[in-house]
Amino acid sequence: MRVTFTVNGREQEADDVWEGESLLYVLRERMGLPGSKNACEQGECGSCTVRLDDVPVCSCLVAAGQVQGREVVTVEGLADQARERGGRATDGTTLDQAKGWQAKPHGAQAAQPGQLAPIQQAFIDAGAVQCGFCTPGLLVAADELLERNSSPTDADIREALSGNLCRCTGYEKILDAVRLAAARQDEVV
Amino acid sequence: MDLGTVTQMRDARRREQWRPGDAYLGGGTYLFSEPQPHIRRLVDLGSMGWEPLEVTPDGLVIAATCTVAQLNRFTAPPGWQACHPLIEQCCRSFLASFKIWNMATVGGNICNALPAGPMISLTAALEGEATLLALDGGVRRLPVAEFVTGNGRKVLREGELLRSVTLPTYALRSRTAFRQGSLHRLGRSAALVIGRHDPADGSFTLTVTASTPRPVRLWFPLPPAAAQLRAALEQAVPPGAWFDDIYGLPEWRRHLTLRFAEEIRAELTTAPVAPGEE
Repeated sequence: MRVTFTVNGREQEADDVWEGESLLYVLRERMGLPGSKNACEQGECGSCTVRLDDVPVCSCLVAAGQVQGREVVTVEGLADQARERGGRATDGTTLDQAKGWQAKPHGAQAAQPGQLAPIQQAFIDAGAVQCGFCTPGLLVAADELLERNSSPTDADIREALSGNLCRCTGYEKILDAVRLAAARQDEVV
Repeated sequence: MDLGTVTQMRDARRREQWRPGDAYLGGGTYLFSEPQPHIRRLVDLGSMGWEPLEVTPDGLVIAATCTVAQLNRFTAPPGWQACHPLIEQCCRSFLASFKIWNMATVGGNICNALPAGPMISLTAALEGEATLLALDGGVRRLPVAEFVTGNGRKVLREGELLRSVTLPTYALRSRTAFRQGSLHRLGRSAALVIGRHDPADGSFTLTVTASTPRPVRLWFPLPPAAAQLRAALEQAVPPGAWFDDIYGLPEWRRHLTLRFAEEIRAELTTAPVAPGEE
């Protein structure tokens, strides 16, 4: 079957999708967006978290056919989304930026390769990334939290990240990163 | 996870003949969470367009496709004191994060018919009546407490689907008390007990779920004494009838249930605390 939906602001068509395919598979294997990770496959670890019509979901539990005509944002689209809502997209590592450089399509407003959403930069600055496997899901969840709550309490942060498991960091640096992103958001305002 | 045996997806509006290997697709959070080698065709309810929540003169109609998140956000009309905090308490009894609430449906949880299904607990405790639709258009209605007949078992016939659950106004106007216990904090419920005190007629209803394979309801015309409630529970759930799985031994579930029942009885037989008097 064919599934037409919007991914990170662009309309996409996925052809030859089989009926039992998950959204996660479509994103990773058909759309070339491997940021969302495939781990527990049962909605517990949160490493496949994406936003579907603005709300966070586990893409491993969503049937591909269920996203027909809907809007998906993955970790790859966070920087663009941050730009669109007026937040700063910050510069990433210069070397990576140089390696990933490519000409922008005519008229495109997308963030440049290497540019990061504030939450991504905060994760780097706070040292919240260890092996990195859970990081995309945490970023999407944390970004969604900060969009609806610019001054989250620690309880708010814990609640928002409650469906994302990290086996490396012990979570403290991750909490620091979200606090940092929230503080920087306040500075911008 | 991907369901490799599924070869077709159908729109539920087409009402096609039911075949072996068919399954209704609501939110999909259960179907896609574990292998389903017996499923060949998904019948998608997503296009049915049912209003998630409708406030009517008879009460609250919850569509089977209403997501847990939508139910949790429901703002109750004045006087429906049973809604808050009971709805949120039951939503938080899922062994799942709020992300799952965004896709998981009330109907899906009820139709899974698991003892620990918190939407079963909620709707059974609030006298929910399930409306079932047959493929030939036939409609039947029965209490949610009778819809679930055992662990994973329910009264649905071939091709029949749960359309909605109606919570009657009188139940929504009741005072409720909630207790839930599990082996670890935020774990799967081993016992989930809800009490309901109807201010209109003074009756008291206790609904036991999770610790029994199917909902157990006890109704009293007036709040019972502690010994009366305990005796009624022991009679309704005899030894050997408590649920047994890895999430709790039957003896422990019995202990929790009896304790919770007495706490609820005590809570609902004391005068409610007026706002500002806490």
